[in-house]
Amino acid sequence: MKHRTIGLLSSALALALATSTFLTAPAHAAQRGGTLVFARVADNIFLDPAHTAQNADIWISLNLYDTLLIATADGKATEPGLATDTKVAPDGKTLTFTMRPNIKFADGSPILVSDVKWSLDRARGKDTGDEFAFLLASIDSIDTQGADTVTLHMKHADPTILQALATFNAGIMSEKLVMAAPGANLAEKSKAFAEHPIGSGPFVLTSWKRNAELVMSRNPYYWKIAPDGKPLPYLDAVKFVNIPDDATRVLKLKAGEVDAVEFVPYSRAAELKADPKLNMVLFPAAQINYFAMNTRPTLKDGSKNPLNDVRVRQALNYATDKEAIIQVVSYGTGTPQQSFMPMSTPLAVGNGPLYPYDITKAKKLLADAGYPKGFEVTCMVLAGSADDTAKVASLQQMWADVGVTLKAEQLESATRLARYAASDYQMRTGLWTNDINDPNEITSVIAYYPTRQSARTGWQSKRVDELFEMSQEELDPAKRAAEYAEIQKIYAEAAPIIFTMEVPYPVAMLKKVKDFQQIPLGNNIFLNTYLDK
Amino acid sequence: MNILAILARRLLHIAATVVLVALLIFVLMHFLPGDPVMMLLGDRASDEQIANMRHRLGFDRSVVEQFWEFLKMTASLQFGESVSMKVPVISLIVDRLPITLMLTSMAVVLAVLIAAPLAFIAALRQGGIADAIIRVISQVSLSMPVFYIGLILLITLAAGLRWFPVGGIGENFFQNLYYLFLPALTLALSLSAILLRNLREALIEVLQADYVSFATAKGLMRHTVLGRHVLRNAWISTITLLGLHVGSLVGGAVITETVFAIPGVGRLMIDSIFARDYAVVQGLTMILAVMVSIVFLAVDALQALLDPRVSA
Repeated sequence: MKHRTIGLLSSALALALATSTFLTAPAHAAQRGGTLVFARVADNIFLDPAHTAQNADIWISLNLYDTLLIATADGKATEPGLATDTKVAPDGKTLTFTMRPNIKFADGSPILVSDVKWSLDRARGKDTGDEFAFLLASIDSIDTQGADTVTLHMKHADPTILQALATFNAGIMSEKLVMAAPGANLAEKSKAFAEHPIGSGPFVLTSWKRNAELVMSRNPYYWKIAPDGKPLPYLDAVKFVNIPDDATRVLKLKAGEVDAVEFVPYSRAAELKADPKLNMVLFPAAQINYFAMNTRPTLKDGSKNPLNDVRVRQALNYATDKEAIIQVVSYGTGTPQQSFMPMSTPLAVGNGPLYPYDITKAKKLLADAGYPKGFEVTCMVLAGSADDTAKVASLQQMWADVGVTLKAEQLESATRLARYAASDYQMRTGLWTNDINDPNEITSVIAYYPTRQSARTGWQSKRVDELFEMSQEELDPAKRAAEYAEIQKIYAEAAPIIFTMEVPYPVAMLKKVKDFQQIPLGNNIFLNTYLDK
Repeated sequence: MNILAILARRLLHIAATVVLVALLIFVLMHFLPGDPVMMLLGDRASDEQIANMRHRLGFDRSVVEQFWEFLKMTASLQFGESVSMKVPVISLIVDRLPITLMLTSMAVVLAVLIAAPLAFIAALRQGGIADAIIRVISQVSLSMPVFYIGLILLITLAAGLRWFPVGGIGENFFQNLYYLFLPALTLALSLSAILLRNLREALIEVLQADYVSFATAKGLMRHTVLGRHVLRNAWISTITLLGLHVGSLVGGAVITETVFAIPGVGRLMIDSIFARDYAVVQGLTMILAVMVSIVFLAVDALQALLDPRVSA
């Protein structure tokens, strides 16, 4: 549950949508008008792209704030958004953008090059930016020429900068409108503005009752033209209703009181798929489920930690039947992990599932490591989470076959996080979703030691740290791919985690809802959505 | 003692209670493991991000400084700002309190409407079949968890028969009467079972009292006896019980509001506890403490009206 509300995602995508309209062109023309009612697990918190950090906000941000570039549907490249042309100097240190003519904010006022500079400067600023400012940290300065040109001067070449400019964090805001909001300083004005934001995206917020509902209506000034020759989007409005309880959310859909629901429990996907009134979709997600291990030689209480031995970690990986966990937890909707990063991440390398289930190998490795009779290990579990409980219960059974006794420690979210941040744990369940179409974000958190001890596992490879730092400035795509291939290989062999599965985003909709998309980064895209009346 | 002196003394009690609650809730929240910064940043936060945010939000100050800040905020009735929702706590509470008040009020009314007639029937037919059935039903509804009753009502009356909406709230007062009926009924069922048992016992006792036999012997009409003598005397302990249960009704609202997707203070409280949003939990607790104290005061006043011996 925490992961739904905390942390993740981002992206680049409104565009993905745009492209996919043509790819998935409906058999008959899209219809205009109507309000789509979409039930969500959690409410929005703060609708300001520079201060957005929770999934609930990240996932709808691109509907409210457009970006210079938009990620392509496959996430591997970008295409024009508010900027029609992008020129990157050969040394990668200067980027020049030409803005689309006649673009407007949702109040009809023009989007100026000064707004672009102001928005990006604010998002990357040490005091004005927030958690995701690091995405734009390689920018040294920004200047503008004439009415339509914006130039980024870089501190160093940054292979990720184009994707970063397509993420929510780089959404373009109106300097004039933010500064007109009440407040004594920028922070106060930003807060006031975020209650009633007017942005550059295809939709604009029209009403918001916290923890109840949020309505965003069609921005009549949006620049993108639909196949019918009129501007997108098709819908008059999207109304998000906040229903945290899984069972209630699904009941609402079945009763026809809402048109779509997110986070359908995997256990109910098959049932909803069989319902002739519904369209149950499993959107591919850049999302992994794993178990993290504390790899330090001793635990916080001073006891010896068998997970410090790489042979033990490999043995536990071999002793884990991924297909069984996929069946039990995701009801067959998941796929086994092939790398520490989701396979939809650019530069992810997969050669089939890692550590295929092999009890003989597992037993031999444990014996080699001096644990022929196994040992006891404790895993932190999110109290009340059916998924976590099912995951750990499956592991308990499988590992018992190699003599390892797994104990589950039920903790509520904040306690679990505090223990994790203090590295006071032996194992924990983990979930990750990419926020950007690049391997650098997940690598910096999970495999790179200096900032957070490789996701608090305490595992360190100096070679991985070095490769990662090189990759951050590597402009040659082939060299960068090779660096990431080596990082993934080293990580897979060292196995600081139990490689488990990738799981999709389960969304159920009434049949009349057409062309809604959730991209692998999680963003909900309503640009091309319409209701078939 | 005159009424003003009693009132003054009671208000003093309330003030003392509120100060104690303030201290208690502050200590409890701050002794819980975990903090709002980790909840905001999640498990991918770097050491540097954690330290920066802790400083920015003032969680790196001493507990004494933070408590002093909390007292100042409370005294100004502003309660500070929610770190997880980035809005003033008072505006969150003002937005959500009315819906919870409406939900709990409806629950009280429904509980009384269910309990009173059934208690009468059971008491008048003591030991009979009707009595047995009513007692079994009340036992069952008392022992079922609130979320379970809520889900059963949702699945049958809302999703199944479509008599009611599946959770959420309406656009205005009258729509809310309709939207809140099932959640109020959910809350009311277990409360009505408690009231019913208590009222039934009280009625049986009163029915056997000498003054009732005397009133009947005087030739008074049966409904006069029941209304003027039996009900009025039997009600007293039930009203006290009802008052005492208002606090747990707020607790039940936490669960009911989650199951029925109602944006009230119950859900706000639970979300804020999980998010370690100290300011919201503290502010809300203070307001609820004051309100529950006022209800207790009202119950005492009502008791005094019904039973002149109480104010003596």
